[in-house]
Parts: sequence; structure tokens; C-alpha cells
Amino acid sequence: MKKSLAVFAVFSLAALTSIGLVACGSSDSGKEGGTLDVTYASFPDYMDPQLSYTAEGWTAMGEVYIPLLTYKGAEGKAGSEVIPGLAKDLPEISDDGKTYTLFLRPGLKYSNGKPVKASDFAYAAERMFKVNSGGSPFYTGIVGAEKFAETKSGGIAGIETDDKSGEIVIELTKPRGTMTNELALMFVAPVPAGTPNEDLSADPPPATGPYVIVNSKPGKGWEYERNPYWEKANSKAMPDYPSGHVDKAVVTVVRNPQTQVNDVEQGKYDWMQNPIPSSRYQEVKSKFEGTQFVVRPTISTYYFWMNTRRPPFDDVKVRQAVNYAVDPAALERIYAGQLVGTQQILPPGMPGYQQFELYPHDMAKAEAMLKEANPSDLDITVWTDTESPNNEAGEYFNGVLQEMGFETKLKILNADNYFTVIGNQSTADLDAGWSDWFQDYPHPNDFFQPLLAGESILPTNNANFANVSDPALDKEIARLGEQQLGPEQEEAYAELDKKYMELAPWAPYGTRTLNTFVSDEIDLDSIVYNPTFFEHLTSFQFK
Amino acid sequence: MEAVSADERGPWRLALRRFLRNRLAVAFLGLFVLIVLFVLAAPLWAEHVAETGPNQTHTLQKLQVGDETREVVSPAGLPIGPQWFEAGGKFFLGADSRLGRDEMVRLMYGGRTSLFIGIVSGLITTIVATILGLLAGYYRGWVDSVIARVLDVIWSLPVLLFGIALGVSLAVGGLKIGPLELSGGSIWVPIFVICVFTVPYMARPLRGEVLALSEKEFVEAAVAQGAGPLRVMFAEILPNLASTIIVFFTLNIANNMLFEAALSFLGAGVQPPNSSWGSMISIGEELLTTQPLLAIIPGTMILLTVLALNIVGDGLRDALDPRSKVRLEAHAGTVEPEGASV
Repeated sequence: MKKSLAVFAVFSLAALTSIGLVACGSSDSGKEGGTLDVTYASFPDYMDPQLSYTAEGWTAMGEVYIPLLTYKGAEGKAGSEVIPGLAKDLPEISDDGKTYTLFLRPGLKYSNGKPVKASDFAYAAERMFKVNSGGSPFYTGIVGAEKFAETKSGGIAGIETDDKSGEIVIELTKPRGTMTNELALMFVAPVPAGTPNEDLSADPPPATGPYVIVNSKPGKGWEYERNPYWEKANSKAMPDYPSGHVDKAVVTVVRNPQTQVNDVEQGKYDWMQNPIPSSRYQEVKSKFEGTQFVVRPTISTYYFWMNTRRPPFDDVKVRQAVNYAVDPAALERIYAGQLVGTQQILPPGMPGYQQFELYPHDMAKAEAMLKEANPSDLDITVWTDTESPNNEAGEYFNGVLQEMGFETKLKILNADNYFTVIGNQSTADLDAGWSDWFQDYPHPNDFFQPLLAGESILPTNNANFANVSDPALDKEIARLGEQQLGPEQEEAYAELDKKYMELAPWAPYGTRTLNTFVSDEIDLDSIVYNPTFFEHLTSFQFK
Repeated sequence: MEAVSADERGPWRLALRRFLRNRLAVAFLGLFVLIVLFVLAAPLWAEHVAETGPNQTHTLQKLQVGDETREVVSPAGLPIGPQWFEAGGKFFLGADSRLGRDEMVRLMYGGRTSLFIGIVSGLITTIVATILGLLAGYYRGWVDSVIARVLDVIWSLPVLLFGIALGVSLAVGGLKIGPLELSGGSIWVPIFVICVFTVPYMARPLRGEVLALSEKEFVEAAVAQGAGPLRVMFAEILPNLASTIIVFFTLNIANNMLFEAALSFLGAGVQPPNSSWGSMISIGEELLTTQPLLAIIPGTMILLTVLALNIVGDGLRDALDPRSKVRLEAHAGTVEPEGASV
């Protein structure tokens, strides 16, 4: 689950990998070699493939730990295509949809010279459960995984491997249409058997990709060097995967984004990984767009949730009225041009997205609908976090509700624990508030199952903030979740999107854009970007 | 007019006369009064000139200035700058942020909040500190030890860091201790935080004065006449502390306003969407390079108010306790006859 830009990066990692597979190395005009100086605003949550679940982490390790499958290096919908990574081909799926068979490419080696074995996949999956990774819920559908998650011993019965042939067979308890996407996440990227079952951020495991992480100093930075076994072994086994242009990259954590912008402008750093702060966005865009700066789309939805289990939002008319009152055009300005207005669950770029507009902004209509609904309780609490401009979006929402006639109280929580607090059902007055969602992987189920399905309503760590549970729609989510994604399923997801918006548990207002900002030494056009995995390190090249 | 000798004037009238002779203090008292009037006029300005409330957003609104149409917030998210009277007083100081709220209206309402917090917390601090100072200084012994140690503990804490931690946690969850209940986001949360940390700064010196006063003959006489501890403390000692307390009170208001501004700037004071001058500086800081006035104007208001209160406080001290001025000037080598300042 991704709740913020940080979480968003998880996918970028895998995407980066895949992007590289297709697009890197295409630029032949730039220089080869050199040291890339990079700045991040924060150190990733973990520098460990089984643990990291943030944008920073996935971006940082995308060129280091390649999963069995990965994503195609392209923008938009094209970038959602899953392609082979360490596996030879895409999985062969049995007719009942419960057995996935893959074969490891022969001749692969880790950066320490040890061979990559099929059993390393099983080891990585078990390690993920043993270290209680946030990604483990994606894999509990594997036979024996739930039991292993509890006992942490005895192995996962549903994963069988053969090191000799490289065969990997995964048995699921029931068909799972998102499994292919989930095999492309770094949570199950192979690591050598015997890798300690603990956070290895200070000494990351050996790499399978073209770069290896060295000198990792949590909180301060890290470096990349070329994987000595990439050229010798892996690049031959994976000829389509890009080898990268720079010989080395040095990453420094600079916590002030304003300083980062200044430093990139002055050429002290070649790339800042995090987005430009809103206050500098227009200035940088106007000065450097097309030469050092480019706006990137993301697959994300920003929305206001309304708790359907508590008055006044237990009345669908009240929720629909709020949808009419919220104006995405105003929020586009609040996000200083870094948001594109939409009013639906699925964002552009996600398979199944079909544009519609059920609630064109009309405050008079909103007020009339609220009057007609005549809720007995107009006293509500509105929640948001401190991170700009989400805090301002929350203030805007609070103002809109007041204008409609609600008596509101605004609560702004620290972004570090915001989702923990609003995800805890025992928190008092969870009436309405702000949230966002960045895809875990490019599959529409990722926007319905965790956020809107009745079975996702949990006492703690709840992500279904609207507490919406519609039996018919829940059934449809479950049905589609078992099917492989195809045109028919995409159509069904588009219909589901509309049905949920008629139910109006959310007032969605937009999809976020991010940006890439580099120094004038870097060839901006060569940088490969994928909406799931963002910029691909192997694509950076000096002019 | 009938001449009145110095002996016939009461001490308060003498103090007033001394204060009025201090032109600087009187001028800054006038400035403080003007600031108070300015913030009290907030509803009038909001309703009749700006025609908007302090928290009302105008992100997509357009202003008609002559033939020109100006957007309150540009598509790039930049708020409009000061319009002065070009738009009939609307957005006189521009818009505050990408939410497009009227900066002038928020400045006036924010001033009310800042002054309210400063005055109320100053008052509470003064009352609590006076009671603690009297109890500790009069009873001495274990009462003094307990109070002194508690004050020492509070004094030893890093005030701003602890204040931020307390302010943030209370801003979210509120506070409930017996009958005392503060809801998160309430204006009483920063008042509570400020009072907790400023009481020791007044209680400690007051305790010292009480210790000295309780040795005086008039206290012994009162005790000899059978006066109980409460009467001695509140009827005999307290009136003799009045000048000190009044001076402390004015300085407390100034200091507490600065404390509130710091807390609000760091997100631990007045909670959005309400404004205070501190929170306005915080909002303006993000746009310092493009709209510097958004931070400078509320900052200037804090500066002027605190300066005025400090100078008035100094003036009151000189007026109520002229000997302290003589003592101070003795250090500087400019001693005047005590009578000259009377």
C-alpha cells in the first residue's frame, strides 16, 4: 500500500529495472563513464530489497536487485506491461489460475561471484516474511504462506524450486489476477541463501543488477559501483537489460529541498531524486523545462474520504453533495500546477481508466442537495496531514464543508503518523479527511481491493478510510481479482469505477505529477521514466 | 487649582505622574492601544471592506481592478500581492497563500488571537506564579522545597523543544486532567503550554521578595495581632508586591506573545485554519522569495507589540519602584536625587 510519494517509489524500483530493460543504452550521443552526484531529501526507509516500501527505496535499489519479472521501460500505460527480469519468460499459468511456473535465466551471478539459484527466490520470499516486511500481504495467497508468516519456520509449501533446471513453481490457494504484477516487486527479488534475516540497510545484500551499493551510511548517503559480475555474467544472460552509462554514483542526503534546487542549478549535484518544492516549482519550470527539467505523470489518486458508517456521511446524498462542492480546478492551483484534476477512483494511465465526470462543480446544487438530505448531525471533524500542500488541501476541504453548512473542526496531524492515526478505528471523530494513493503496481485491483472492499476494513492499519462495504461491489472486486487482466476485465474495472463514484465514498480531486530536475551536465532526453518506477539510474548519462 | 503636597498624594497617583513624565513609555503605550484598536476592528474591516472572513478561501476568485482582471491565485499557485485600495480595500495586503485568503483580514484576526493568548496566558501565569511565590516564601520549609524543586524541574527543561512536543501532542489529542479538559486544536492548548513553562520565571523572583518581606516589622506586627497566614500573605505581603507583579504582567504578555509566535511558527501553537501572527509568518516563509511581505508584516506586528509592551513595562517599573531606577543608574554613574523622579 502506498500512502505517500515516499511509498510510491517502491514501484519505481521495479519499474526502473524494467525501464532499463527496454530503453537504456538507446542514447549514443552522450559520454560513457563518470561519477553521477545525486541528492535525496531523505534516506530510504530501508536499503534492503525485502523490506523497502517507499519511493526512495525502490528508486535507490531498482538497478541493484532485479526481481523474476519487471516492468517495461516506458511512460504511461505502456509502462504497465510486465516483462521478464531474472526469469527467462513470463510465467506459465495453469488453467485453474493457481499454478505459476517460471525458469531462471542460466548463468546469473551475484556481485559476490556466487551463482543465482532458483531456490534463492524461495529464500527471499521466506526472508520477507521473517523480517515482517510491509510487502508480505501481497504473497499470503501462496499455499502455506500464511502459516509460514505465523511460524516463521518449515518453509513455504507453495514454492517449489529446482536449482538444476532453474524451475520455480508457485502454487496459490486461489486464482490471483495480480500475482504476475506482484512477482515484479522487489520484495521477492532473489538474494543469496544465508542472507541474514534482519535489516541490512547498512550493509545491503549482494546485487544482481548492473550496479552494487557500497558505503551505505543510513541517514547520510550511499554509493553505487559497477557490479563486477554484471559484464562477466549477467549482461550476457540478460542482453536486453541496460548496463548503464556512469561508472559510479554518489548519493548524498540533503534534507532541505530548497538547498537541493540551488545545488542542482549550480551543478553541485547532477540530479535531485525528490520533487521540486512547490514554492520553487514554477521558477524552475519556467527556467529549465525541456533542458534540465521535465514534468512526469504518476498513477495516483488524491481524494477526500467520507466515513460512510457515521452520520452525516452515512447518507449517499450528503456524500454526492460534497462531490459537487469540491472543485478540482481550485485544488490544481493549491498544488501549484503539480496536480491534474480528476473525479474518479482510477487515475489516467491505469488500465481500466475511462474518463467520466459525474459531479461537475456546482456549489448551489451541493447546498440544495444537503438541504434536501437534511442530516441531523452537521458537526464533523476533518483530518489532514502537515505535509504541504496536502495540509492546504485539507484546509480547502474544511472551508468547502463550512460553506455548505457543516460545523467543522480541522485536525492536522504530523505526516509521519497520519495514516496510522486515521487507520485506527478507535480514533475518535473519523468523519472525513484527506488521503492519496499511488499504485503498488499497474493493476486496477490495487485501487479497489485495499481501499474500498469491505474485507479491507480493519480495526488498525485500515486503508478503507471511508469504511465502505457494498456487498455487490465487494463481490465484483473479488471476482475480478481472480482473473488475469485483459480488455474485458479493464472494461469491468471501468464500470466498477463509475459504480463506486455513484456511491461517492470519496470526493477524488486529482492525480499528481512529479518532475525530474538535473544539472546542465546531464542529457535529460536519455533519462528513462516509468510511472511505476520513476527515473532509471542506468539511463543517466553525461552530455 | 489647589496645590497638593507630595505627602498628600497616594502612591498610585505618584506612580501615574511618574509614568506620564516618561514620554517614551507613554508613546509606546499609545502604540499598543492603537494595535489593540486595530485588531478589535477586524470584524468591521472583514465585513465592510474586505467582505470576507479570515478563513474563507478565494483560490479561483478574480478581482476587477479598473479594466484589468486579476486572479487572486495564479494558475501557477502564486497568491496576489498587496492591492492597497485598488480593489476597494479587498486584498489590501494581498492573499496569504494558494488558498487565496485575505491577508489583511487574517492579520487583524490573527492579532486578536496572538494578543488574547498573550494577555490571558500572562494573566494566568501572573496569578499562579504569585500564589506559588507567596506560599513558598511565606511557609518556607517543605512547602518551599516542594514548590522550588517543581519549578527547578520545569526551569531545567529545554523550553521551546518541550513546548513544541507538548503543543503538538495536545494539538492532536487534547488534554483531560480531572475537570480540566482541552480539545485538540483549542486556543487554550497553547495558553496551557505557555503557562506551564513561564510560571517559574516569575514565581522564583517573587518567592525571593516574599522571603524578604516576611522578615519586615509590619508582618511581625500583623502576626502579633493574631492575623492568620492567609491574611498575612494576601492582606499584608501581596499589596507590597503589587508594583513587581504589574511590571511582570506586562513583560509576561510580551514574552508569551513571542512564545506563542514560536510555537505557532513551528506548528505547535494556534492550529489551522485559525491564524496568529506566528502562524502567518510560518505560511509566509514558504513564499519568502516571491511575496516577502507575507512574513514581514506579521513579523513587524509582533515586533512592534512586544517592543511597546517592554517599554511600557520598563516605564511602569520606573514609575512604581523609582528606587530600582536609581539603583540601575548608580551602576551607570548617573545617580539622581530620589526626589527628582517623584
